[in-house]
Amino acid sequence: MSKPITHKDKEILNIVSGYQEGVQRMQTREKTGTNKSEFSGKVTEEVAKLHPKRLKLRVEKIIQETDSTKTFRLVAIGQILPPFQAGQYINLFTQVEGVETARPYAISSCPTHRDYYDLTVKIVKNGFVTGYLLSGDVEVGQEYMATSPMGSFYHNPLFHGNDLVFLAGGSGGAPARSMISNVLNRGLNINYHLIYCNSFENDIIFADEFNALAEKYSNFAITQIISRPNNGYKGLTGHLNKDLINQIIGDTAGKTFYVCGPTPFNEHCESELRQLDVEGKHIRIECNGPPKKPSALPTWPKLANESDEVTVTIKGRGQFKAKVGEPLLNSLERNGYYVENACRSGECSLCRVKVLHGDVFSSPDARLRKSDKTFGWVHSCVAFPMTDIEILY
Amino acid sequence: MLKILTCKINLYSVNLFDSLNKKSLELEMKEYDAIVIGAGNAGLTAATTLQRGGAKTLLLEKHNIPGGCATSFVRGEFEFEVALHQLSGLGTEKQPFIMRQIFKDLGVMDKVEFVQESELYRMVVNDGVNDFDVTLPACWDGIKKTLSEFAPEEKDSITQFMALCEKVCVENFMYLPKARKQADEELLKNMAGKFVEYGLKSAKEVLDEFFENEKLKTILAAYWCYLGLPPSQMAFSDLAIMLFSYGVFKPWHIKGGSQALSSALLESFLEAGGEVRFNCAVEKILTKQNNEKPEVQGVRTEHGDMIRSDQIISNASSVLTYSELLDTPSMPTDIQQDFKSREIGTSAFCLYLGLDCSPADLGITNASTFLSSTTDEELMHDTMSTMNAPVATMLTCYNVDDPSFAPNGKTQVSLLCLQYGKLWEDVPIEKYAETKYAFAEYLLAQAELTFPGIKASIEEVEVATPLTMMRYLNTPQGAIYGFQQNPEDSSLYRKRSKSVNGLHLAGSWNGMGGFQPTYMIGGSTARNVLKQIHANKKNASAENNKTNNATQEVSHV
Repeated sequence: MSKPITHKDKEILNIVSGYQEGVQRMQTREKTGTNKSEFSGKVTEEVAKLHPKRLKLRVEKIIQETDSTKTFRLVAIGQILPPFQAGQYINLFTQVEGVETARPYAISSCPTHRDYYDLTVKIVKNGFVTGYLLSGDVEVGQEYMATSPMGSFYHNPLFHGNDLVFLAGGSGGAPARSMISNVLNRGLNINYHLIYCNSFENDIIFADEFNALAEKYSNFAITQIISRPNNGYKGLTGHLNKDLINQIIGDTAGKTFYVCGPTPFNEHCESELRQLDVEGKHIRIECNGPPKKPSALPTWPKLANESDEVTVTIKGRGQFKAKVGEPLLNSLERNGYYVENACRSGECSLCRVKVLHGDVFSSPDARLRKSDKTFGWVHSCVAFPMTDIEILY
Repeated sequence: MLKILTCKINLYSVNLFDSLNKKSLELEMKEYDAIVIGAGNAGLTAATTLQRGGAKTLLLEKHNIPGGCATSFVRGEFEFEVALHQLSGLGTEKQPFIMRQIFKDLGVMDKVEFVQESELYRMVVNDGVNDFDVTLPACWDGIKKTLSEFAPEEKDSITQFMALCEKVCVENFMYLPKARKQADEELLKNMAGKFVEYGLKSAKEVLDEFFENEKLKTILAAYWCYLGLPPSQMAFSDLAIMLFSYGVFKPWHIKGGSQALSSALLESFLEAGGEVRFNCAVEKILTKQNNEKPEVQGVRTEHGDMIRSDQIISNASSVLTYSELLDTPSMPTDIQQDFKSREIGTSAFCLYLGLDCSPADLGITNASTFLSSTTDEELMHDTMSTMNAPVATMLTCYNVDDPSFAPNGKTQVSLLCLQYGKLWEDVPIEKYAETKYAFAEYLLAQAELTFPGIKASIEEVEVATPLTMMRYLNTPQGAIYGFQQNPEDSSLYRKRSKSVNGLHLAGSWNGMGGFQPTYMIGGSTARNVLKQIHANKKNASAENNKTNNATQEVSHV
């Protein structure tokens, strides 16, 4: 039994009222208490059930959804897939043309399916990673690392209500499918209306599945809009606008809108919804990668050219040339520097680096903390070097 | 590879070349004077103190950002403060207190801005029988006045009680350490008489001795939440110190949140030449046996890097440090014995709310409000071990005293209850999200009673459960204050373990939890380590000189 501490063989605290009772409490506890060795590995184990740092995944099945879209069914190797909230994404690590990089993809399967995640990937014009994923080089059995599910684009029952509208454009059908099937499979008391906008009739992901669900469930409806219809197409055509939204769903009061599609689609939808007096808190927009053309942003420095070259120095590690118009994270990866990352849209802050010298432009998507601005930290996924820079990470 | 090669050459050539090579050999073998594991409050102050004190220091952090608890995150237009409710120990410019000097010494006073809160706290009890609603100002005389108006029949007792708090507090800081250091019982008796009489009694015992009015006792005991144990299980001195230091030296916020201070500390550390690695968890603390005692050699990181240093300060929990990180076959016996009399403390369930109306719209007029449906702290504490609706919650609104804490016309609030984390380990993972939202509804319902409309104003919300605390703090059961903060958890009952040479603990797991205590323990631990580093360097150079002289003599022969 351990003794209370003594100074020069005499514990003067013994004269303090209550001290000895404390010593007795300690001694009593020592008889039954554990040495806490049961906690060895326990925290990591508990946390990993919900948020493992990495998932090791294997392609189990590849489904050609449309000419431009494939679904990759991924199963876990040696671990149980963590649960996720419908609408969340995983960041898939891959190697393309010798470059270690990653891209976030929304999970398109329902969270009630616990044995796999579906990632539904639509080809992006000149897309570095989608080009590889859809090229046919990816086969069943191939293995990938990924982050665990992340992101805040999901139904939050605390304030989103039960009357939901999803405005999806193209690949936005992926998280929509997960969110809608979650509501229907669980029998939740939620009304869901999907307004699904696509360019071509033959390029609608999950078209049959959505239509069948709408047939089967009274609390789910789908409206499709085609912007470039073939002759003779009978459905709604053109671009989504406020009048059309009004016409389709009626009053917007009490509804929460989820918006996911290409960036121009998202921006357009937000502006239309605002004109219908939908409050910001009821418009939830999924983040969507770095700006494709940063120089088009209103805050882009006037004299900066996307094609200019600058030198990026990583303190104590090396340097390389980079284009002003390329996100810092991408040029770091291309030059073999690994930076932790996940959303690649300015939101999650995992890829933060500190700018020691030089100027960096951060796109408005960068969800920087106030003190980041004070001390020069940027989110490298949406940061563009304006001059020669030195960074630390 | 290159390094090993150089070492070898040095080893073989040591007799051939002059002393320069011997120095370079040493340099190769020891990469850092000190390594700090974890960039929480104590890790940051430790690393900064070390580096500014001339020790070459490496700071390793598992996450991508410094701060631990003292951090923030962004959702929509809001940057949410994660953990700081009221910073103590700062004092005003006219009446400065200890933290002002500490922050100055750490080189961050010109990097952050502090915002004073004008109220201590508001307490609202809706128990359906004796409802009351009192707001205490952040002013010692003002507290006395407000309480005396609330319970006029207790006026004299209030005066005496507050005088006692002040006395115990002063004695605790001034004379108790001195008497202990000198082992002088007479000094303790004569100079710290009130501490001897009251300091280690339970807060409840002392409150009961002074007051009849149950409501008054509940109001005065409100700060038990900052420790996590009800008045019956906490030392009176802890309550007295909190009341006195917040009452006299004011509660504070930091502009930009506690993250701003964490980032400022990191900046100061980097400016002094310190090195930091984020996303770099330590997997093992490496030791070798020296005279049957383990001696620190360095660390191995999650990426497999081995980094050498013979001084390590761990800001990870002591449980993790000894049960998992330390590479010895079993935990040191004194630590095992110490741990047997400790219990894992509370975690918390917290809602971070961004609201689309002003604080005034909701009737929020001050920063800190304690809300409860009972005056019975035992019941409040018992409920913390259940998934039942909490009977005591705390609401902190950050932009009452500092409008920059939220966008114009909006409000940032954290709404939390203390809760033991073990409960959440038993929630099936597929039920986790729905359990989390269902529990969040309890807290919102309680807040709604006093601040109607709060739920309808939500623009952003993030829910943190004890498992969230576990994920980000890496503590057993997601504990936020370390072990149970009972009297015998304190350093009055425990001595620092010296069972592993070169390993030092700094954080809430070997002292008090909360901001001020952890900032302080990081600094004091580092100062002790600095002494050792400087002493070792001195010895080494004396040793070197001796050998050099000897070698020179030999070569002269």
